[in-house]
Amino acid sequence: MNIDWVLVGACLVLSAIGVATIFSATFAGRGLGLEIKQIYWILIGIVALLISVTLDYRRLTDRALFLYVFIVAALIYVLVLGPRIQGTRRWILMGPIQFQPSEFAKLVAALLLAKVFAESKRETLGVREILGPGLTIAVLVLLIAAEPDLGTAFCMLPPFLAVAFLGGLRPKAIAIIAGVLILFGGLGWQFALKDYQKNRIYTFLDPNLDPRGAGYQKIQSQIAVGSGGLSGKGYKQGSQSQLGYLPARHTDFIFSVLAEEMGFLGVTTVLALYLLVLWRALESARAARDRVGAFLAAGITAGLAFQVVYNVAMVAGLVPVKGLPLPFMSYGGSSVIYSFLAVGLILNVRMRRFAN
Amino acid sequence: MRIYEDLRGLQGRLAIIQWVMVGLMGLLTVNFWQLQVLRGKYYRNLAENNRIRPVAIPAPRGLIFDRNGRVLVDNRPSFNIVLTTEQTEDVERSVRRLAALVQVEPAVITQKLLQKKGPQFRAVIVKPDASEQDVATVEARRLEQPEASVDPVPLRAYPLGQGAAHVLGRVGEITDRQLESDAYAGIEAGVTVGQAGVEAEHNRLLMGKDGLRRVVVNSRGVEVAEAERQPPVEGPSVSLTIDIKLQQALEEAMAGRPGSAVAIDPRNGEILAMLSLPSYDPNEFAKGIEPAAWTELSKDPLTPLMNRVIQGQYSPGSSFKIPMALAALQEGVITPQTKFNCPGYLNIYNTTFRCHKVEGHGSLDLRRAIALSCNVYFYNVGVRLGIERIARYARRVGFNTPTGVDLPAEVTGLMPDPDWKRKVYKDKWYPSETVSISIGQGGVLATPLQMARVAAVVANGGRLVKPHLIKAVAGVPVTEPPAENLGFHPSVIEGVKAGMLAVVAEGTGRRAQLNGITVAGKTGSAQVVTHARLEQDKKSHAMQPHGWFICFAPAEKPTIAMGVLVEHGTAGGQSAAPVAGQVLSKYFGVPLAFPPVVPPEQDTPVPQPAPPRAAQ
Repeated sequence: MNIDWVLVGACLVLSAIGVATIFSATFAGRGLGLEIKQIYWILIGIVALLISVTLDYRRLTDRALFLYVFIVAALIYVLVLGPRIQGTRRWILMGPIQFQPSEFAKLVAALLLAKVFAESKRETLGVREILGPGLTIAVLVLLIAAEPDLGTAFCMLPPFLAVAFLGGLRPKAIAIIAGVLILFGGLGWQFALKDYQKNRIYTFLDPNLDPRGAGYQKIQSQIAVGSGGLSGKGYKQGSQSQLGYLPARHTDFIFSVLAEEMGFLGVTTVLALYLLVLWRALESARAARDRVGAFLAAGITAGLAFQVVYNVAMVAGLVPVKGLPLPFMSYGGSSVIYSFLAVGLILNVRMRRFAN
Repeated sequence: MRIYEDLRGLQGRLAIIQWVMVGLMGLLTVNFWQLQVLRGKYYRNLAENNRIRPVAIPAPRGLIFDRNGRVLVDNRPSFNIVLTTEQTEDVERSVRRLAALVQVEPAVITQKLLQKKGPQFRAVIVKPDASEQDVATVEARRLEQPEASVDPVPLRAYPLGQGAAHVLGRVGEITDRQLESDAYAGIEAGVTVGQAGVEAEHNRLLMGKDGLRRVVVNSRGVEVAEAERQPPVEGPSVSLTIDIKLQQALEEAMAGRPGSAVAIDPRNGEILAMLSLPSYDPNEFAKGIEPAAWTELSKDPLTPLMNRVIQGQYSPGSSFKIPMALAALQEGVITPQTKFNCPGYLNIYNTTFRCHKVEGHGSLDLRRAIALSCNVYFYNVGVRLGIERIARYARRVGFNTPTGVDLPAEVTGLMPDPDWKRKVYKDKWYPSETVSISIGQGGVLATPLQMARVAAVVANGGRLVKPHLIKAVAGVPVTEPPAENLGFHPSVIEGVKAGMLAVVAEGTGRRAQLNGITVAGKTGSAQVVTHARLEQDKKSHAMQPHGWFICFAPAEKPTIAMGVLVEHGTAGGQSAAPVAGQVLSKYFGVPLAFPPVVPPEQDTPVPQPAPPRAAQ
C-alpha cells in the first residue's frame, strides 16, 4: 500500500488535539457536545480519505474540467439559491447535511491546475501561458469572494502560484503577476470590499479604533495568546477562553485557546506537527512519478500551508481577521473533511509513484 | 507504457517550497516567543484586567442615637437597579429595555449615563430603593440583559421624619464641588456622603470604610465568581447630646410656626434640643431626591433647608440688654442699685429715643429695668458705657463669632462698632447709634444659638461654653475642653440674674413661669421693618417683629439654657416665652404658672416689650 504513516499519524494527532481544545473551549459555553460531533466529522473525514486513496489521482485529474464545471455550478447555486446565514451565502443544505462547496473548490482548483500545467511541455512559463489557468481560477475566486468568503477565496491563490512556480514560471512573469495582484487588490478595495471588510482592515491597522467592535477579536486573541506565557494557564484554565472573551474560540480561533492554555510549548508542538505534515506532503510531491502528481500534491499542500500560516498569524494578530479555519483542528465538518480529503489525495500521489 | 518524465528541475523547486515553509513556521515561532514569553507578563495583566472588576461594598454609615440611646438615624437594606454599560454594544437599546422594565424615563437614564464619572465599569443607578417587583423583574432577565443588575445597599433611614432634621442633616451623592475639596479628599465620585447637619460635619467618622469585592466577570459583564472580598467596616455609632423627648417637646411647643429654638446644658455646652422650622424630611434625600422635590425645597421662601439656629441672623432686640447689663456692672458704670428715671423717652444727641411704655416706667433700678425691659434705662447705660466697651463685652459673650458648634455652615452674626462702620460704610460712628445698639437694634445680629449661650453665661457664673452635639463615639464619651471663664465678678452675674428672675417672676416673661422651678429669662423683639413702616401696615404678618426669649432654669442650679425665636411672633413675651415655658414644664415635669388654656384677654395683663420707639 505504501502509505505515509507518519503523515497520517501527524494529522490524527492534530485532530485529537483539536478535539481536546474544542472540548475546553466550549466547556462552559452553550455548545456542549461539539467535541463529540467533531469526532464524527473526523471519522467521516477518514472515510473520505480512504475513498480518495483508492481512486488513481490521474483519473481525477483527467476529469478535472468536469469537476470544475460542477463546482462552478454549485457555487453559482449557493450564490443564487443558497440560504442566507449570518449575511453570507456559503452553504448547501441537504437535509441534515450542510456543507460549503467553496471548501471543495480548493481541491478542484488543485486538480485542474495540476492537469493544465502538466500538459504544458515547455521548460519555462511566461505570462501568456498562465493566463488561461489564471482566469479559470479567477472565476472561482470571484464566486467565493461574492459569498462573501474572502478567506477561502484567497486560498485559491497559493496553489496557483505554487504550481505555476513548479511549472517553471519565469522571474519576469512572477513580477507581472505580483503587479496584477496588487492592482486587483487596489481595485477590489475600492469597489468590491464590503464596509465590514474594510473596517476589519482599518481596525487591524489600529485595533484601538474600535476596541468593542471589529478590533475586538484581534485584541482579545492577542491577550489570550500572550497571557498563555511559556507553559500556559493549564487545560480548561484560560480566562480569555473560559469567560468568553475570545470570539469564535472553537472554530477560527481554536489556536488562540491552545496558545492560552498550553503556552508557548503547546504552540511549538502543534506548529512542529503542522510543519511535519507539510514537509511530508511535499515529500510525496517529490516522490511523484509524473508532473501531474507532483503538481497536484504541491498545489494541495500550498493550499493547506496557506490556511495554517494565515490562521496562526491571524491568531497572533499579525494579519487581518478572516474567516479561515485551521485545518484538522478547527471545529466544523466541511473544514475537517476537506483536510482529510486533501491528505488523501497527497497520499494517493505517493502510493502510485511506481504504478503505471 | 509511459516514459518516466524528467523531474529533476521539479525536485529543486519543490525543495525550495519545503524550505519556504520551514522558514514561515520559524517566523511564526519567533513571533509566538515574543508574544508569549517576552511580553507574557504584559498580556497576563491585560487578561487579569479583562476578567477582574473591583466592586465597592458600601459600608453602612454609623448609627446615630440620642443621649439616652434612642435611635435617631438608622440604616435599612434597600436595592438599587443599576446599569453597567461597559460590555454593552447597543447601549441605547439596553436603556430602552430597562426603562420599560422598571418604569423610568429612558431620557433620565441616558442623562445619568452621560453624567457618569469614574471608570467605565462603574454602574449607574437607574432606580434607587427599587420595589420587590422591580428587583424580581431585573433578576429574572439577568441572562438576557446582564448589563442591568440589582445592587443591595444600606439606605439611611430617619425614623423621626422631619424631627431634628437640621441636627441630623441628610446624605446624598457627593457633589462636584465636594469632590474637589480637601474635606472629602479620597472619596470617589458616586459615593454617598453627609450633606448637612451631623451627617456632614462628622461624615468621615460616620462613613466607616467601604469594603471591596474583586469579582470575575465574563465577556458579557456577568459576575461568575468572587476572587477576593474585603468586608466593609461599618461606621461607629454616635451618641448625640440631644434628648429626643426634649426635642419633641420643643417641636410640639413651636407648633409648626417658622422660627427656631435651642436648648443647651449651661454647664458644658451640650445641645439638648435644636429645632428649626419649617423642616424637611431627610428620608427624601437618602435615596437621591427627585429634582422637582429639590426645587420645591430649595426655592421655598421659608427656607426649610436652612438651620435657623445657627444660620438665622436676627436682631436680638431687648435680649441684648443682658450683655449690656453684664458690661455695665463689670465696668462699674452702674451698680444693681443705680436708678434712672424713665419718663417714656430720652432726649439726647438732638434725637428723642422712646421707651415702649409711652407714659414711662418712672424711676427704676437695674432689676426692674430688666424685668420690664425699660429702654430708657438702657439708653442711659449705653451712653455711659460707649460703643467700644459695649462691642468688647458683646464679643466676649459670643457675639460676632461663630460658637464653634459641630455643625457645618454656622454664621457669624454681627456686632457693629466704629471700626466696622469705617471699613464697611466708610463713615464715622455717630453717638446716637450707640443709643440704638443699647437696646439691641442698630445692626446687631445674632443667631438663636449665640443668644442661648448668652443665657448660659449668666446661668453658669460667667463661662462661655462651646455648644456641641457629640456625646460619645462607639460608646466612648467625647470630652470637651473646659469652658473659658470670662472673668465676670460674681456680683455682676448675681445682679443680672436677679433681673432675669424678675422678668419671669413679675416682668415681660411671665408666660414662662413654672410652679416649683424658678426660671430666669429675658424677652426681646427683633424689628423686621422700621417702626414707621410697621405703623402703616399693622396687620401684615410679614412685618411683625420676631419674638425672642432666652432663659435658663432652675435658677439656683441651672441645667438648661434656651434661646427661642418665633418669626413674626410680635413680642417675645407673647410668642417665645410661652414656648420656653411649655418646654421647661415638660422637661422638669412641673406645671406652668399660666397655662395657655386661659384665653389671653382674661389673663393678667402682661407688660409687653413692644417694638422700641427709637425713631431716628
